[in-house]
Amino acid sequence: MTDSFLLLGIARRPLLDPEVIGSAYRKLAGQLHPDLASGDTLRFRELSEAADMLRDPARRLRELAGGSASSSGGSLPPEAANLFPKVASVLQQADNLLEKQGAATNTLAKALLLTPLKKAARDLESILSLLESWKSTLNQELHRLDQEWATHATPSPSTVTALGLLSDSFTYAGRWELQLRNRKLALEATLG
Amino acid sequence: MIAGIDLGTTNSLIGVYDSGFPTLLADTEGNRLTPSVVYYGEKREVLVGREASRMQAICPDRTIASVKRLIGRRHGEEGTEGFLVTKGTKGAAVTIACAGRVLTPEAVSSEILKKLKTIAEERLGTLVNRAVITVPAYFNDAQRAATRKAGELAGFTVERILSEPTAAALAYGLDRLAENSKVAVYDLGGGTFDLSILQLDNGVFQVLSTHGDTRLGGDDLDEAIANLLAGKAGLAAREPSLEARIRLREAARKAKESLSDEDSTVVRLPFFQGGESLEIPLTRHEIETVCAPIIRRTLHLCNRALEDAGLSASQLDEVIMVGGSTRMPLVRKLATEIFGKEPNLTQHPDEAVALGAILQGAILEGNLQNVALLDVTPLSLGIETFGGLMNVIIPRNTTIPAKAGEMFTNAMAGQSGMKITVLQGERELAADNWTLGTFEIPFSPSPKGAARVGVQFAIDADGILQVFARDTASGKEKITEIKSAVEVSDEAVEAMLAGSLEHAFEDMDARIFTEARLKAEEMLPAVEAALTQLASELPDAEANEIRQCAVEVTSALTAKETARLKQALAALDNATQTLATRLIERAMQ
Repeated sequence: MTDSFLLLGIARRPLLDPEVIGSAYRKLAGQLHPDLASGDTLRFRELSEAADMLRDPARRLRELAGGSASSSGGSLPPEAANLFPKVASVLQQADNLLEKQGAATNTLAKALLLTPLKKAARDLESILSLLESWKSTLNQELHRLDQEWATHATPSPSTVTALGLLSDSFTYAGRWELQLRNRKLALEATLG
Repeated sequence: MIAGIDLGTTNSLIGVYDSGFPTLLADTEGNRLTPSVVYYGEKREVLVGREASRMQAICPDRTIASVKRLIGRRHGEEGTEGFLVTKGTKGAAVTIACAGRVLTPEAVSSEILKKLKTIAEERLGTLVNRAVITVPAYFNDAQRAATRKAGELAGFTVERILSEPTAAALAYGLDRLAENSKVAVYDLGGGTFDLSILQLDNGVFQVLSTHGDTRLGGDDLDEAIANLLAGKAGLAAREPSLEARIRLREAARKAKESLSDEDSTVVRLPFFQGGESLEIPLTRHEIETVCAPIIRRTLHLCNRALEDAGLSASQLDEVIMVGGSTRMPLVRKLATEIFGKEPNLTQHPDEAVALGAILQGAILEGNLQNVALLDVTPLSLGIETFGGLMNVIIPRNTTIPAKAGEMFTNAMAGQSGMKITVLQGERELAADNWTLGTFEIPFSPSPKGAARVGVQFAIDADGILQVFARDTASGKEKITEIKSAVEVSDEAVEAMLAGSLEHAFEDMDARIFTEARLKAEEMLPAVEAALTQLASELPDAEANEIRQCAVEVTSALTAKETARLKQALAALDNATQTLATRLIERAMQ
């Protein structure tokens, strides 16, 4: 397993500016892209994978925590456990309506679905803002851990554990955000 | 020498890199644009381009235009309307019936490519047999593979299948190599729409995200304007013939073009349908009213691309417009609204993509140094899981070439293999995505869980998938080629030819009744629900009229009378129009 930080020449740290990753990636990709005389398909793919990994806070923190397995042993972080039923019901509601809307072929049937679709869009919006505020607490925690990481020569075991837990939270937040945003865009496309 | 080719829905171009410059090549009449139209003559002669366009009005059943809308498509998909598509089983590749032949879209496209090859060879006096061919960014695996096949049929070694907006970005960025900026390319062509967001950084062109619609373009605008013309001329009642439809659409296209510069025009159709000559006045405002809903469909695609790139519109440095349809003032106006800035019109709408293809050829030949294109796969790639869900293996917007692996093991002792379905798309349910193909992973005989086969999914620089399977027990590597369902054998074509013409109409009446029945079954409960919801505000007379129409639908349905049912449904549709409007208004409050 190659070290993604090393491949991109970026210092190992919990907090990374996406622009820094992007710029380091493009600089190296400009030498390794297979179309170029200096290119190398294998190394280019490795580089792209490393950059993708670093851009994703969940995967980046997991690597810094030094493990591939989830540290919370499969149990949900408390905030995630609180959000999960809400996310699931809103997604289900949206899916149901989108399916009905897709199956409807006449104007009247479609018109009947408009009010519930609008309500689903509002529900999605409010759950997304709950998720947004959870993400901002996660980011505060990320900043705090980054400071801890920077002040110690070797990270303390408690920092490492906290990074693993934070990675789990980012995994849930990222997955749900993607699902909710996809539904939101599908609803927007339907509502015009 | 590698030629660059823009194989467009409406027009195609070819060019080469010559003494440090990308150069487009013109035919003997001096035209750089070749209409993407193919004519199949009575003596099996094939005409392409302007000559074929001229034949279109005379022999509409022997000409094929906009074949790009069909390439890589299967029966049962939307978007094949307006073509003489042969009948086929759902999921089989689409073929076209034309001039007594059954043609694959690849074969028709290859005629266009052969013509371009001839233009280039005559112009340069040398053999031109290597090419970079562009495709819409949102083309899926099958559409890319079919385009590659068309190139090969035309005698080219296809060096790269390149996304059109990426090509346009290269043309735009060539004299800005030292810059670092973020740009969006808004590409609205004859048949397709793409929006790609790129970061330009010292000669590296990185695609951050892309979204699109492969059934949205100038053709759809022409169709809407043609319908408007038909309505204004009072033609809606009698079905216009194929020839009349082609003339109307051609007139619509010309009117659309002249209304890009002027506020009003008069559409003249002499001896229309063999009879009277038509003169229809048309204003820009009128065509904008019918085109706006179509163009507005680009809005949420732009938002999706921005969202995927993690950017807001204000973070973009430029919005570059390419594709013939971006000449329309309404398109420019809407792009200004979406992105909150004036679009960049420095690129030639018809030529930028072809110039980019030529430049990519120059990169591959090593003639253009310190420039690299980092393109992405537009659609997520995954496999079907046991629950019928899609498990994403390579997410959309992953830089290509890309590779990802998955390990498979036997669930039972002695199991000889396992079937894997490879999917492309963004939906969670496997069935809602495009099935790329199904293949068998071979297991060597072993106890439960002991056979292990690693499968690698590789997307190459053309955006086309390859699958490799490796048995970890034996260490044997086996390249499993996924046979795309879109490939058609000659025998299959023969069978389709025989079947399609004989059986085309026999089950017509049964089908019409079934369609009407399904519509009635949908309508009746919707009417009930709407009447209940609006009970307090609906005048009794209107409610009674609707109820009477509904009763008539029910009795026609019971009597199984097709014509009566269709009529009753039309009446019910008509009677409930204001009802639907009320519901929409209520929802929008």
